[in-house]
This record gives sequence, C-alpha cells and structure tokens, in this order.
Amino acid sequence: MTIPTGSGGSTGSGGSTASGASVAGPVDLAEFRAEVQRWCRENVPSDWRRAQTGASAEEFAAFQQDWFQQLRAAGYAVPHWPAEWGGGMPVAQQVVLYQELAAHDAPRLVLGFVSIHHAASTLLVAGTDEQRRRHLPAILDGEIWVQGFSEPEAGSDLASLRTVARRDGDTFVVDGQKLWASGAAHADWCLLLARTDPDAPKRKGISYFLMDMRSPGVDVRPVRNAIGDSHFCEIFLNGVVIPAENLVGPVNAGWQVAQATLAAERGMTMLELAERLGNAGFRWLVDTCRTPGPGGGRPVDDPRVADRLAELETEITGLRALCRGLVERHEADTAGPADASVVKLFYSELLQRTMDFAVEVAGLPAHAELRKPASSGWESGAWVLDFIGSWEWTIPGGTSEIQRTIIGERGLGLPREPAASA
Amino acid sequence: MNTELSEEAVEFGRTALRAFEAAGGDQLVQDAEREPARRAELVEPVLDELGAWELDPRGGADELEAAAALCKAAGWWALPYPVAERLCRPTDGSTDASTEGLVVIAGTEPGPRSGPGPAAPVAGLGPRWSTVTLDGRRGLATAAEPVGSPRYTAFVTELIPDPIPAPVPDLPAIDGPADGLADLALGLVLPCWTLLGMLDRAMELARAHVLAREQFGQPLARFQGVQFQLTDAEVERVGVEELAKYALWAVATGRPEAVDDALALRLAALEAADLVFRVTHQLHGAMGFCDETTLSWISRYSQPLRRLPLGQAATRDHLTQRIGRIGLAGPFATQLEVQPR
Repeated sequence: MTIPTGSGGSTGSGGSTASGASVAGPVDLAEFRAEVQRWCRENVPSDWRRAQTGASAEEFAAFQQDWFQQLRAAGYAVPHWPAEWGGGMPVAQQVVLYQELAAHDAPRLVLGFVSIHHAASTLLVAGTDEQRRRHLPAILDGEIWVQGFSEPEAGSDLASLRTVARRDGDTFVVDGQKLWASGAAHADWCLLLARTDPDAPKRKGISYFLMDMRSPGVDVRPVRNAIGDSHFCEIFLNGVVIPAENLVGPVNAGWQVAQATLAAERGMTMLELAERLGNAGFRWLVDTCRTPGPGGGRPVDDPRVADRLAELETEITGLRALCRGLVERHEADTAGPADASVVKLFYSELLQRTMDFAVEVAGLPAHAELRKPASSGWESGAWVLDFIGSWEWTIPGGTSEIQRTIIGERGLGLPREPAASA
Repeated sequence: MNTELSEEAVEFGRTALRAFEAAGGDQLVQDAEREPARRAELVEPVLDELGAWELDPRGGADELEAAAALCKAAGWWALPYPVAERLCRPTDGSTDASTEGLVVIAGTEPGPRSGPGPAAPVAGLGPRWSTVTLDGRRGLATAAEPVGSPRYTAFVTELIPDPIPAPVPDLPAIDGPADGLADLALGLVLPCWTLLGMLDRAMELARAHVLAREQFGQPLARFQGVQFQLTDAEVERVGVEELAKYALWAVATGRPEAVDDALALRLAALEAADLVFRVTHQLHGAMGFCDETTLSWISRYSQPLRRLPLGQAATRDHLTQRIGRIGLAGPFATQLEVQPR
C-alpha cells in the first residue's frame, strides 16, 4: 500500500479498475497533479469564503450548483463513477485530485454530496437501467438528493423504522416521518426506506424507494442545531404516492439494498474526507500553531504542541492509507465486512481529537470566530464551530457504538451481545 | 479535616434548586437568550428572595458552603446569571467594593493589554467589575456593551481594564501583588461549583434518556457499551465533586496552598466536563445537538465556564508553573509521617 505524500512526484499507473471503469493508458501522476494544480489556480474562486460567509440558503445552493458544473466540465465532479457515466478515474488519480482540491482550498461539494455518493451508489449497485438513465445524467445536471432513513424511533436501530408504504395498484402510498435528513430543504429526490410488510421480521419487511420530493404530501421542516445551522431536516410524509417503478430492488429487500449501497458508498466518501483533513485541515492547524499568540510566542515552539502535531500527523497519515486501502480493496472485491466501520470510527474520532486540539491552541480569539463559510469542509479554520461540528460525526451513518459492534461481530467474529431478558 | 458540606448548606442548595424551578427552571435560560435585556429581571428576584447577596463567602465556612451549594443549584438549571462571580464581590472596604462582582482574568497584569482582553459572561449586568489576575493582583474593569446575540456569546462580553494607578510614594500599595491571592482562590473555586451543577444535570439527563430511549427492542441503558460510557463519565464527575469540596475547605480555612488547590480543581473540572459532555452528547444522539433537548442548553452555557479565564491546556500550564517540583500539599499532607531509616 502506498501512502500518499501530498507533495507529488510519484508515478503510478492508470489502466482499468475493477468496477469496469477504464482510462486510456497509464497516467503520469505528476503530470496529472500539475494539471489539477493549474486548473485550481484558474478556477477556484479566490473570494468564495467571504462570499459564502453568511450566505442565504439560496446563495449557498446557487454557488454549489455552479461549482459542481465547473468541476464537471473539468471531469472532476464524479471521478469515482464508472467511465460510462462520466467517471472512471483510477484511485491513485482520485487521491491526487482530492489532495490538490484540498490544498487549493477549493469549496466542497456539500449540496451534491448525497447525490454523487449515496444516490449514485444505490443506482449503480441496485437500480434498474431505466432508473440509472433517468437519474445519473440528471445528477450531473444538478439533481439534488437526500437520504430518508432515520426516524424518531429508528436511529441506531434503523430496521425498526415505522414509515409505511402500502401497495395500491401500480403505486405505493407512503405515510410516516423521517428525521435528520441533511439538506432535505434543497432536495429534488429522496432515497426512502419504508415498511411494506408489517408482519415480516423487521429487516425483511422494508423496501427501498426513489421518492420525488415535489410529490404532494411531502412536507420538509428544518431543525435548527446548537450552532444555529439548519441542515438537519424532518420530512413528514402524508399519503405520498410513489410509482412502483421507483422501487429499488425487489419488494421487501430494501434492507439488503441499503446495506450493499452503504458499503459501496463509504469508501468513496472517506477518501475525499481523509485527503481534506490531511491537506487542508491539518495544514491550517499547523498555520494556527505558527501564529504568535498574545504573548508573542508561537504555540509550535512549545514541545508539547509540536509533539501533539506530530502525533496527529501520524494518525492522519494512517487514516489516509486506510481510506485508500479500503477503496482499492472495494474495487478488487476483497474488502472485509468491517473495513468500512474501521475507517468511519477512526476518521470520526480523529476529526474530533484534531478539532479539539485546534480549539485549545487557537485560544480565546478562536471563540470570537463564530461564522463559518457555507461550502467549506468539516475543517474550515473556524475552529470552535468545526469542533462542535465534529461531534456530529460519531452519530450519523452508524454511531461509534454501532461501528464497534460491527467490528466486534463481523470483523473479529465475536459473539453478538446477549439480548436483554424481559 | 471535614470536607462534607454542612447539612444547612445542602438544604440551602435544595431550596435554591426548587426556587429556580418555580421561577421557570430550564425556561429561564431560554427566555434570557431570547430577550437578553430581561436577564436580570428574570433571575434577580429569585436570588434576592433566597437571600443570596446576604451570603459572604469570605465570612466563614458555613457561608462559603452555602455559596457553593447555591452555585451548584444555579449550574443545574444553567441559570443565565453569574452567581459565583457576584458572590465573590469584594467586601473588604477597598476602592472596588462597590463593583458588581469579581472575575478572575488571565495574565499577570491587571491593567490594559495588547491582544484579546479579558472577558466574562457578565453582559448587560452593570458596568463595573473587580478583577483578579492569576497571580493575585486586584484591579477594576468596565464591561463592554454586548456584541451579538447571547445565542453565540452565551452572555460573554469583553472587560476593559482600568489603567493601573501610579504608586504613591511612601504609602503602602492597597492592592499590591499577592494581596488578592485569597480572592483568586475563591474566584476560581466557586465557578467550578457552577460547572459541577451542570455536570450533575448532564449526567441526570443522559441517564434518563438512555433509560427511556428504546432501540433494538430495549432501553439503550441495557447495552453495556452504553453503561460503561456513562459510568466512566460518572467516575470523573464524582472525582471533581470530591476535589471541589476539598478546595472549598482549603479556601475556608485560608490554607496557603488554596490557590494551587483551586487550580487543580479547575483543571480536573475542565477535564471532567470534556468527558461528561462528550459522553452525554453521544448518548443523546443527534437530538442532543438541538435545542429541543435541555442538554444542548446546558452544554452551550457551560462553554464560558470551561474557556474563561483559561482553557484546559493553559490551566494545566499555569498550575504546573505554580507548583513546580513541589507538588500539591493534598488532603493528607499533615498526617504524613516520615519514618527514620
């Protein structure tokens, strides 16, 4: 396994990937890096942070759409997709792309995150040809997706979800409530899990739907979180009609579809996040440590600070290697059942440790920095908000407790926790 | 050495808890955040009724313990008011005895400085505040007008220190270095009791949540992985509670190492707060980040206590520099007998 250095110069080979993606001939990584650097210099808007600070929801969405189209035109929007749908970039090249976008402080694709990862992965793994033809090009044109999985009573225990979809001729009629649907206010479509057989064991009575968010009966309400952000949303579903052709996979096989698509998606998203942390977040943290404090001294000259930085860099380097390894094993179909959980657990807790340290080092002035630009990553340099935001990470997409359970049971082959006696 | 709070102090704390509850309980901080101008009128009548300002924490162990119990009760409700800071107001007849309260500020100079100035959650509660630096120098400061909504500031505002008056020859300095060491110890210890009340509340909220919230057909509390997180946090909380009582005893008995003990308490309280809030947030799930949950309010309003005057690393640094290689005297120092070899 090669640990990416972020400084360029290494030469890798391109060729075809196990997912069927292929590129013409070997690619010189140094050449590719230079190309991405050139592109970033010419295209990353120099004032985007200022413009996105305090931006309205509409300004944020418009900026994200515009940035997505710029990336798309360069071939950088969906490098992880198969070539026939507009991707096909080898993993080694993707790593370079994400490194350079982070190093040039490019805006992140926040609005389209679920669309290009979760939705695309669902369609590619389990969708019909018709569904792919309908939605993958639309996603490239800016179609926005939201994930409608969690419910008030179904968080970690997702399989106990209660939203019901009743068959009615060639449609399903959906009633229920979804929670923590990030970005639902902007979404055109929703990846929806709903119960289609209330009598079956809970994992065997769930179906997976593609739901048009403009359907009558869909009501989205933002939930404001502790830092005043409203990206969490509740979705209320009252008699929403979904055509049967929008079912993904067979009826009552939704749980299996969700498991397969989540596994496929995880590695791809983590690859980009790990490179962000290494090439943007950590770099800014080092800058913060080099900035003289009120007393004139630089935190980095304190051996304890230097020691922590070294420790964090070691861990981040490990994370980047883990992520790359996961993607490569996924493409070669050799990934272990708990590999994605290891990466998610490690990233989320490392992000929290890193942000915690950043807040401590940045000191009191950082507490006055209470606005963070929209379109920035999990590490924006507004350390206090980044720190609070990092707390979110050990909860969604499977809490750290769930990840540890998966690593214990599926990775290490340990027995399941005994069920509670009544 | 008896570090237990007196029965009267404990009862006073219970009375205060009930009084704050009757006045609105968790609603108080929410109302104050929505209408910052009403902060004083929401809280002060209850404190007056309780006789809070008749307490003199410097007036003996009984009053100090009652003050600590009051701070803890205020923390339980995240009372939007600097109870500890006001209880610490100087009463020694010095020039700054008419201020609103006493705030510990970072650094060693009581006067104006470059870089970020001292700050405290005292916005909108009267302009004049006494200050004491971390090496015990007393000073005076004026609270700046609040900038921004308390939603983001938690009522923290900058304190602008007065210039230090030039020393008058042949007259002893009123507030020379070290004169304020007792004030410093008191000013460090009482806010830790407020924070302790917040930790108590966070633990109780998380405990109630994991008992009530069912996933996988059973309460979360049934999972050992959940129980162990809560027990680790509880061990931290209990440790801080014991240290808080010890540091209070050190202040009450005027022990020379009271400042060291106060700093050690503060460090332990900050470390415990990190763990307690991390665990209680994690166990609340995403809902814990939303203001629908009380935890979100307690957590947000714990921030000024945890960051000012110094955060964890800086507190540790200051404590380390103070005690050097001598270490802390500790509760058992007087009983230590060294056997001849």
